[in-house]
Amino acid sequence: MRKLTLICSLVLAAAGAGTWLTEPDMSSDVPVIYWATDPNPARIQQVADFHQWLVENGHTTAEGRPKVELRLETVSADRKGVIQGVSGVAADIMDCNVPWYQSIGLLADVTEEAQRYGFGIDHTYAALEPLLTVDGRQYGFPCNVNVMALWVNVETFEKLGMEPPPTNWDWDTFERIGKRFVERANPPGQRQTVFFMNKFEHPYMIRAMHRSLGVSEFNETMTRSGLDHDGYAQVLARIYQWTYQDHIAASAAEESAFSTESGYSGAGLTLFHHGNYGTYNIGRWALIRMRQFTDPPRVSVSHFPYAVFPNAVIGTRAACVYAGSRHLQLAKLFLAYLASDIYNLGIVESADALPPSPAFTRIENYLRPAQYPQEWGAHEVPATGAETIAIATSVSPFVPMATVDRYKKKALDEVMADLRTPEAAVREAARRIDAEIQTTLKESPNLRSKYEEAVAVQEKIDSYRQQGRTVPLAWIINPFHRKYYVSKGWAQ
Amino acid sequence: MNKRWKRDLSIGLGFLAPNILGFMVFTLGPLLFSMYLAFTNWDLRLHNMFKEEQLRVVLFENFSRMLQDPDFWQYLGNTLFLMMSIPFSIAGSLVAAILLSQDTDGGSNWVRKRLIATAGLIFGVSCLVLAGAGLSATVVLVTGLAGAILMGGTLGGTTVYRTLFFLPHFTSGVATFILWKKLYNPSTGPITNALRPLLDGVGSLVNGLPAGAVQAGSWVTAALMLALLSLGLHRLLSSWRDGEMGGFTVLLGLSFMSLPPILSCFWSVPPATAWLSAGGGLAALLLSAGLVLRGRNYRCKLDEGLGDGIMLGAVLMVGQLALLGLGNVLHALPAMATHGLETPEWLTQYNWAKPSLMFMGMWAAIGSNNMLLYLAGLSNVPGELYEAAEIDGTTAFQKFWHVTWPQLAPVTFFIVVMSTIGGLQGGFEMARVMTEGGPAGSTTTLSYYVYNEGFTTGRLGYAAAVAWAMFALVFSVTLFNWKFGSRQIND
Repeated sequence: MRKLTLICSLVLAAAGAGTWLTEPDMSSDVPVIYWATDPNPARIQQVADFHQWLVENGHTTAEGRPKVELRLETVSADRKGVIQGVSGVAADIMDCNVPWYQSIGLLADVTEEAQRYGFGIDHTYAALEPLLTVDGRQYGFPCNVNVMALWVNVETFEKLGMEPPPTNWDWDTFERIGKRFVERANPPGQRQTVFFMNKFEHPYMIRAMHRSLGVSEFNETMTRSGLDHDGYAQVLARIYQWTYQDHIAASAAEESAFSTESGYSGAGLTLFHHGNYGTYNIGRWALIRMRQFTDPPRVSVSHFPYAVFPNAVIGTRAACVYAGSRHLQLAKLFLAYLASDIYNLGIVESADALPPSPAFTRIENYLRPAQYPQEWGAHEVPATGAETIAIATSVSPFVPMATVDRYKKKALDEVMADLRTPEAAVREAARRIDAEIQTTLKESPNLRSKYEEAVAVQEKIDSYRQQGRTVPLAWIINPFHRKYYVSKGWAQ
Repeated sequence: MNKRWKRDLSIGLGFLAPNILGFMVFTLGPLLFSMYLAFTNWDLRLHNMFKEEQLRVVLFENFSRMLQDPDFWQYLGNTLFLMMSIPFSIAGSLVAAILLSQDTDGGSNWVRKRLIATAGLIFGVSCLVLAGAGLSATVVLVTGLAGAILMGGTLGGTTVYRTLFFLPHFTSGVATFILWKKLYNPSTGPITNALRPLLDGVGSLVNGLPAGAVQAGSWVTAALMLALLSLGLHRLLSSWRDGEMGGFTVLLGLSFMSLPPILSCFWSVPPATAWLSAGGGLAALLLSAGLVLRGRNYRCKLDEGLGDGIMLGAVLMVGQLALLGLGNVLHALPAMATHGLETPEWLTQYNWAKPSLMFMGMWAAIGSNNMLLYLAGLSNVPGELYEAAEIDGTTAFQKFWHVTWPQLAPVTFFIVVMSTIGGLQGGFEMARVMTEGGPAGSTTTLSYYVYNEGFTTGRLGYAAAVAWAMFALVFSVTLFNWKFGSRQIND
């Protein structure tokens, strides 16, 4: 026994020494900052570009080397980032959801540096403002920008003798084309294997649909849920109809019948490539994978169908500086790099969604990449959408967005499982969100004064609306309602 | 002596110190802290190193909110539903242990039989492939697997089978969940493929019969429910008369057993069958009341035999509920079979997701530590008892019932306690990987809820309260098991 213990100890000691000796040299003679981001291979090039950018812009040591070293920390930013942040050990730069992280207090204010180094809000899409600022202060800058839409496999449509769908379409057109597509694509009497689109799952598409009927998750001042509305019930009823009656979209079971994989697009894009899905709900980053196919399909892009008010949802993977960073100023330099030409060109070429700066969506490399003629004509749609019809997600300071999404998902699930009628499901979702707001206020008395002020403003808005008067735009916080009011001529 | 005692004590404590220290820092400390958390309003958004908001002690506010939260009750229901597999998995573990404790290497007769069976299977598979049925991958897979298992047993003996049974336990959870996701594939999954011909057969049979003939089955199930109830009442009353069960025990057992007839008044299709089960049930209860009023010969404490009473009531309740469901299915079957019977969409249908996870959990639990414990328990049963039983001319079942089962009672008790604790705490990984808690929260368990509230919403105080409520539940059930289950063991 003693011998065994001795042998085990020796083996462990040898393994420890071996590990220590083979570790790469982690020492650095300049400050090291960490970037918590996703494990995308493109990040390695971006880190190298950052170091190059530092040199080109004079952020160097006396020897002419970059004055800071950036290293990657590939973690899931959502939950781990929060736990690391509140524990004081988060990375210096984080890809994160700005309103959520800022509400926790994890982010450093970068407003002044944004002006000094040229990465202010005016350097990116105007619609992103609610996702990068809180109370007028800037807390991040986009690494990339996404406007999700329905990507169309043009070849699949051609094989069926159909024109690809238009860029903008209403619900009825979507339904008509979808029905014709599945009818032509699936031989009668056999199991359906071709669908007009993948499963209705992504919150962006559902959000765009209810917004097209003037319904937002919240009222104008974000103090109450706006989901208890006939428009949202109509959306759920349509999704049910398109999935289970018209079989335009794959149901959860039909999608899982194709594959059990999940994660980054899973097998969905392969199915899209093979023609099992005529359209696929995704962002421009889908091209990263599609370009790897041996014969990438010809694609076009259609915005989500609308009922009355055409709109799209804009989102971003924003980089933010951790408030607890020991190298705050150096970390803020990284945000300046995100607004640089070298970074934007990298995003344009890699097709990792839209570049942070809209100017780069108008260059030839973006619109007609020489190597990928099958994509020509597709790139304009998300880019123009981002600058015209896109609206950021409405995030209330009184309830976490993850909670809102959970209740919305539950409402959809309940309708799809025939557990509740659409009307009852939306009522329940709104009730639960309102209850969550009250719980937050109870837990955080400091928020109450802000809430009461907002409620008072809301009363004024409601009163103005009842009288048929226009409302001062400054009163409205919800980004959807700001745009909706302007389009309807209800705002001053 | 005193000096030496002190020296021994310090040496002993020195050896224990690392463990005690580790326990205090990593277990006891966090445990006490989480208890404190449960009584505070700690929310990650409001209380962290970057915020100045004061943490408030809210006493029982979190618990009160939890009790009013419909999600909590739904997820508690889900957890309890998934726990319904525990008796079946324990029974499966016992059967597996008994089979695996048999000496299968002993005689050449065994080897010969298995070799013949393997050869038969290989021949069968070859014929299927030659006949073109080889396309049916499931048939080839299942028969091939059976052949491999038989061959493995022939070459490696019981050890091979024991390893195979224990395999699910030491295989990574996520890997098995993904495997089961494939098995449950609603289109190409082997389970669906195996079930499809069966359902086609049933569908054709039902379509070939008059609808009334099939629907008459619901009357048979209602009658069977009544029979089960009568059986339970008879057993309860006999025990009561013989002084084996107290008045409170009988009442509790009765309340369990009478639940299905009451529910049948609301759930039964056609409603007329409810008259049979509910009316019959009422008559049986009145009869029982009459017998109770006549008194008994032996007196005992009110809660005498509580464990037995609850077990009997619960088992009969589950049986009656199953019959009630079957009756309703039989009534709806002709309409369902008109266009052929569809296989379930296992993980994506609200009503099937939970049973699917339950079944998978059962599979994993059968070959788990429970089986090992039973194997160890079986090896400790004195051989003389079996010899004595054989001399008395007992059958195999009698041997099991009167020798093996009572001898395994302490092991069973331990397994029941541990499985109950595991069941109340578990379900998180499985649901997270396979269904993400959906559809519509149908597979979200309490542990998943704690995770969501703690790490998605950031309400650590509330999450801690739910976790302590889970502890209270586990503690009560264990205490109950200890008090009433152990009595049977000591008997």
